[in-house]
Amino acid sequence: MARSLTLAAGVLVALSAGSAAAQSATDTKSFTVTGNVPALCSGGTIAGTGSTFDLGVLIDTTTGLLRTDLAAPPKVLTGSFCSSRSTITVNATPLAAQNFTATAPAGFSRTVDYTATASGWTPTAATFATGAGSNPGAVQTRPTAFSGDITVAIGTFSTNGGSGLRLVSDTSYLGVVTVTLAVAN
Amino acid sequence: MARVAALLALAAVTGTAPAIAQNQSATTSMPVIGSAPQICALQPPRMAPGAQTNFRGLSGETLQIDQMADSTTLAANAASASIQFEAVCSFPHRLRLESQNNGLWRTNELATIPTGGFTYAVPYRAEVSWAGVNTALDADALSRRVSDRRVTIDRPGAGTLELRIEIQQGASNVRANAPVIAGYYGDTLRIVLEPQ
Repeated sequence: MARSLTLAAGVLVALSAGSAAAQSATDTKSFTVTGNVPALCSGGTIAGTGSTFDLGVLIDTTTGLLRTDLAAPPKVLTGSFCSSRSTITVNATPLAAQNFTATAPAGFSRTVDYTATASGWTPTAATFATGAGSNPGAVQTRPTAFSGDITVAIGTFSTNGGSGLRLVSDTSYLGVVTVTLAVAN
Repeated sequence: MARVAALLALAAVTGTAPAIAQNQSATTSMPVIGSAPQICALQPPRMAPGAQTNFRGLSGETLQIDQMADSTTLAANAASASIQFEAVCSFPHRLRLESQNNGLWRTNELATIPTGGFTYAVPYRAEVSWAGVNTALDADALSRRVSDRRVTIDRPGAGTLELRIEIQQGASNVRANAPVIAGYYGDTLRIVLEPQ
């Protein structure tokens, strides 16, 4: 009896020792895995035939006055995205004669105003009129991340100074429309 | 080791911060272009209000004298009229006034010069006011030819071009108040706005 007890104890000891060794080999630790995605915006690329709004001849050649049918196809920015709340801002400079830089003589103007709009990003299109004193609608905010196309258009052309003025002759009238997507705070 | 660590830290800063800054906003620029070619244009004429004497008025581009000669003396009657044209020249240009006959000449008598002291051509004066410049062409009728007057205008012009035609009482290419020989008289006066 006594032997068998010892053996049993030995077995127990052995089993006990074996059990202790298995617990230390499978210890568990917890690690926290973290990362962050910075707020990003991308303006995308302009689809179609280039980035230039080409209006061609600006005047009615029988009167010298600004054409009333001026138009240019809109531009589409594809692949635009912002990964966070964002703003879209449209800005524009008037079409101005690049070679005739002096003050226009009486009866003439060297500047054409217009309105630029950027739509598709926000429910209300961002709008900028070059002849306006202020443009409160030029900045629009989108509260959520978004990816989509932005359509940029120009229109509502007018001769700076009044519709009765003629444009001075110049081979180059130039203005610029800029659209900016930015992360909003 | 301290140097290596510092370099790694610097690399992390320079490699990350600008990328975030660049992507927090994105701007796309689109030029808007056009041109305004050189043009000169004259619209159809119209009579200036209340500014004609002894003219019947304007018919198209023809200005007809009402009573060219005094029915008693046969001397040329005075006549005057003012005509307006809306005009534009979008660049520095030249104004040219051109009389086809240098006066009012009989349209059906091209070569014969009558004798007897009759007036066979009637002089007149054309005055133009345009783009701040005043000029005049005296079509003296002393010889039948093209005569012109040219004025350089070193700026664009837009607005109303004023033309005044004036025939003096008794105007003649022979002597003042000489009787005017019968006939149909005419001239073509051209107003040209052109490159210099």
